[in-house]
Amino acid sequence: MARPYLEAHGLYKRFGALEAVKNVHLTLHPGEILAFLGKNGAGKSTTVKMLSGLLLPDRGEVHLLGKNPFREPLALKHLGAVLEGNRNTYWRLTPLENLVYFGVARGLRLAAARKRAWELLEEYALLGKAHTEVRHLSRGMQQKLALLQALIHDPEVLLLDEPTLGLDVETALLMRDKIRTLAQAGKAILLTTHQMEVAEALADRVAIIHQGEVVVEETKEGLLARFAGEHYVLELEEKPALEVIKQLRALGVEGEGPFFFRGNAQALWQVLEAVKPLPLKKVAKGETDLLEIFLKVVGHA
Amino acid sequence: MLDLFLAEFGRNLLALRRYPLELLGAVVTLSVIFYLLFLGARFLAGPGAEFGGRLEAVLVGYLLWTFALFAYTSLSFGLMEEAQTGTLEQVFLSPYGPIPLFLVRNLSGLLTQGLLVFLIAMVLTTLTGARLSFHPGVVLPFLAVLLGGYGLGFAMGSLALLYKRIGQLLGLSQFLLLFLLQAPGTGPFLLLPMAPGASLARGMLAQGAPLDLWGLLVAFLNAFLYLGLGLFLFGRAVHRAKKQGLLHGY
Ligand SMILES: Nc1ncnc2c1ncn2[C@@H]1O[C@H](COP(=O)(O)OP(=O)(O)OP(=O)(O)O)[C@@H](O)[C@H]1O
Ligand SMILES: [Mg+2]
Repeated sequence: MARPYLEAHGLYKRFGALEAVKNVHLTLHPGEILAFLGKNGAGKSTTVKMLSGLLLPDRGEVHLLGKNPFREPLALKHLGAVLEGNRNTYWRLTPLENLVYFGVARGLRLAAARKRAWELLEEYALLGKAHTEVRHLSRGMQQKLALLQALIHDPEVLLLDEPTLGLDVETALLMRDKIRTLAQAGKAILLTTHQMEVAEALADRVAIIHQGEVVVEETKEGLLARFAGEHYVLELEEKPALEVIKQLRALGVEGEGPFFFRGNAQALWQVLEAVKPLPLKKVAKGETDLLEIFLKVVGHA
Repeated sequence: MLDLFLAEFGRNLLALRRYPLELLGAVVTLSVIFYLLFLGARFLAGPGAEFGGRLEAVLVGYLLWTFALFAYTSLSFGLMEEAQTGTLEQVFLSPYGPIPLFLVRNLSGLLTQGLLVFLIAMVLTTLTGARLSFHPGVVLPFLAVLLGGYGLGFAMGSLALLYKRIGQLLGLSQFLLLFLLQAPGTGPFLLLPMAPGASLARGMLAQGAPLDLWGLLVAFLNAFLYLGLGLFLFGRAVHRAKKQGLLHGY
């Protein structure tokens, strides 16, 4: 696998008596979207700020393309961020002016910033509002602009703290597509969100943080399979005889049809053997989604 | 860096162009303050009292004071506003690093301030009938005053970064600034921020004294000392703000 763009080791942050983040390890690889999930106050934004050099960790290190953003601000050329709850842009400037200003503040030449600003405004359908002060834009447009502001210098790493908050369905879908496209173009993206369907649609990997600790971190497929792998659903065309039911119960099958079976794929054959030759309607691995997993994980952790 | 300067300057000009009433307000307020002082002084001195050539000196002194005041307060007001509106964190994401960025900001702000002072000067010369003429060499000690002012500005900026609401303190400490600019340029007063440069400039304006190179050297030493101190404190404050998570406002 390619070298990670962003690595964090053992991040720890305490605010007074509160341990906001405890020993967090994270990596972001090129072309990958990491969904960073957690309840309110779990420590997501605190982690994001440590990753972006805005909050100094008490312990632990951050490497942004191999450099420490706290000691070498130049490393921030490789990072763009949409920060939570912030406007992220100047309200008294227009989108164009904001993008040009932030482009230059992020190290672009003036002419390059201007060119890129126009391209982004066009790509994100904000051309019509290029000259409207940000405070007169709709919330969705402001949120879109916040993303563009993070993209203006074409950084390798994007940290997006709730970028789809408060967007209408259509704009949220557009943002989703854009974020996916950005990852396909090779950017490493960390995305925090409370909208599980967004995470499910976009994530390559999922990290769940609970009370400051990362309690789950694996690929989305792996995670879904791991939790789905726990049970099978079995439906028959007709009701089985009492004896068959007894046998099924002995194997640990629950339910009255549909039947539920917790066990591995081999044990499933024993179940199928028991119902033979009754006609099958459906045999399937139990479905699960990120929401269910999330609730299970943060509920139990 | 040049591009950054241009971008910052552009941002300042845009604000002026888009909110001309604020510019107008500043020009009117600062002009009125001076005019009232002028009338008050005439009233106290009694009718028939003439300022003569002194009026020019007082006016130039006043304009220079507005510059120094701006150098002293602008960073803090900027930091407070941006922490509140929530752009400060984005500004801190600049690869230039906060100190170079704010230095460039100050420089571009100075230019914008020049525009403002020019307008005030026009208003006041018209109102009071004074003519502005002074030895161009005054610019040098005044530059030293400004550098010292920016040093103090960075020191205040440290407080703004850490404690946010320091508007009152800034307002009150303007009197301190006034004292520093009026302090005699001798003995221990030479150690006070801005004082040596200010007294040199005053001497040149009021008494028409020639430029004292030795004094100028002292003024610049003093200026760089306080600028360095201000930058050092600001660097410490940035570190502390990053440690305590104070870059966003509430
Ligand atoms: N600067 C700060 N000073 C003191 N406490 C803080 C500070 N920043 C965050 N905290 C605390 O740290 C904890 C984690 O906050 P954080 O903002 O990281 O949560 P989050 O996961 O982003 O939550 P949300 O989903 O609500 O955005 C919270 O209890 C919060 O009150
Ligand atoms: Mg948060």
